[in-house]
Amino acid sequence: MNSTSPVDMFALTIGGITRDVPLVRLASNRRLPLVEFLGDTQLCAAAALELQKLLPENAQVLFTCETSSIPLVHDLAQISKLPYEVARKRRRPYMNDPLIQEVASMTLGVGETLWLDKNRSENLKGKQVVIVLDVVASGGTIQALERLILRSGGKVCARVAAFSQGKPKLELKVAQELPIFDGVG
Amino acid sequence: METHRVQIGSISRDLPIIEVAPGVSVALFNLLGDAPMTEEAGKLLAAKLPSNVDVLITPEVKAVPLAHVISRITGKPYIVARKTAKPYMKTPVVREVISITTGKPQLLVIDGFDVDIIQGKNVAIIDDVVSTGGTLRSLSSLMAEIGGTVVATLTVFTEGDARDDVISLGHLPLYLKK
Repeated sequence: MNSTSPVDMFALTIGGITRDVPLVRLASNRRLPLVEFLGDTQLCAAAALELQKLLPENAQVLFTCETSSIPLVHDLAQISKLPYEVARKRRRPYMNDPLIQEVASMTLGVGETLWLDKNRSENLKGKQVVIVLDVVASGGTIQALERLILRSGGKVCARVAAFSQGKPKLELKVAQELPIFDGVG
Repeated sequence: METHRVQIGSISRDLPIIEVAPGVSVALFNLLGDAPMTEEAGKLLAAKLPSNVDVLITPEVKAVPLAHVISRITGKPYIVARKTAKPYMKTPVVREVISITTGKPQLLVIDGFDVDIIQGKNVAIIDDVVSTGGTLRSLSSLMAEIGGTVVATLTVFTEGDARDDVISLGHLPLYLKK
C-alpha cells in the first residue's frame, strides 16, 4: 500500500482474521489504523493464538493494564493456563497500600497513573512476568508496567504485543507491525 | 484476613472482606485476573440470557472479560460503556453519573459507532456485582436516550439487599458496622 496516498480504511489482519478499520489521526498529523479488541471476540481469539507463540517457556504470570487489552489477555491466560494481573488506571476504594506508578503517555501528551493493589502485586513477587498489550506505540506504558513488576519483586521475562505502531523502539515481540500513514486524507 | 466463601458452578473462591467506606465492608469479588471464574460465570450466565436479547452492554472495567465470554458463547455482540471519551470516537454520547462508592462524578460514554448497533435493539446489561443499582439506572437511561430497550440485567452477584429485577448466580452480604 502507498503510504502517502489518502486512504480512510485499512485491512487489519492477525491470525487469519481481517477487519477493515478506520485510520485515525494523531496530533502529529500522521494517521494510524484503529485497533479495537473490546467487543470483538473473534479478533481476540485469533490474536491470543498468535501471542501464545511468542510466550517464553519460563513465563509464569501475564501482566497488562486496563482496559482495551483485558479481553485479549483473558483469552491468552485461558489458552496458556497462566494467571494474569491488571494494573488499574484509577484508585479503587478497596485498594490497600497500592503501588502507584506514573506513565508518560505519548498519544495524549498527558501523564497517566497506574495503580496496583498490594495483594495483587504479591502475585508478581518472585515470578517471571510477561507484559502483554494490544497495541504498543511509544513504549511509555510498557516502561511503567516494568517498573511495577520490579517494585513488586518480580522479573520481566518478556514483552509481547498483538500490534506495534511502526517498528518498536524497545525489545518487544509483536505479532503484527502496523504501518503509519502520512498526513492529509 | 477475614474472607467470605462463594461457589459459582464448580469453582469456589474465598473473597477478602475489605472496608470500602467508614463502617462499610464488602466481600471483594474481582474477575480481573481470574480467567477460570470468568469462564465459569460466563457459561452459566450465557445459559440464562433471554432469547430476545440482541446486544450486550457492560460498564468499563471489571465486567469487561465477563461480557467478552458471554458474547463469545452466545454470539451476541457486546459494547463497553467507557469512562472517558476517546479522541478516535465518532460523536460519542456522554452521561455524567455520581459514583456511589467514591461519591465522585463519573462518565459513561458510548461511541457513536456503537449507538447505531444499540438503536432499536433489545439490550442486556452485563455486570459483575449489582449493589445499589446506581450504575444500572444510569446505563438504562443512557440506553433509552439512544433508542435501545434494556430487557434484562445479568450479574454474577447481587449485593446487600436481595433483588428480583436482575438475573444472578449468587448473593453477597454487605457488612455494616453500627
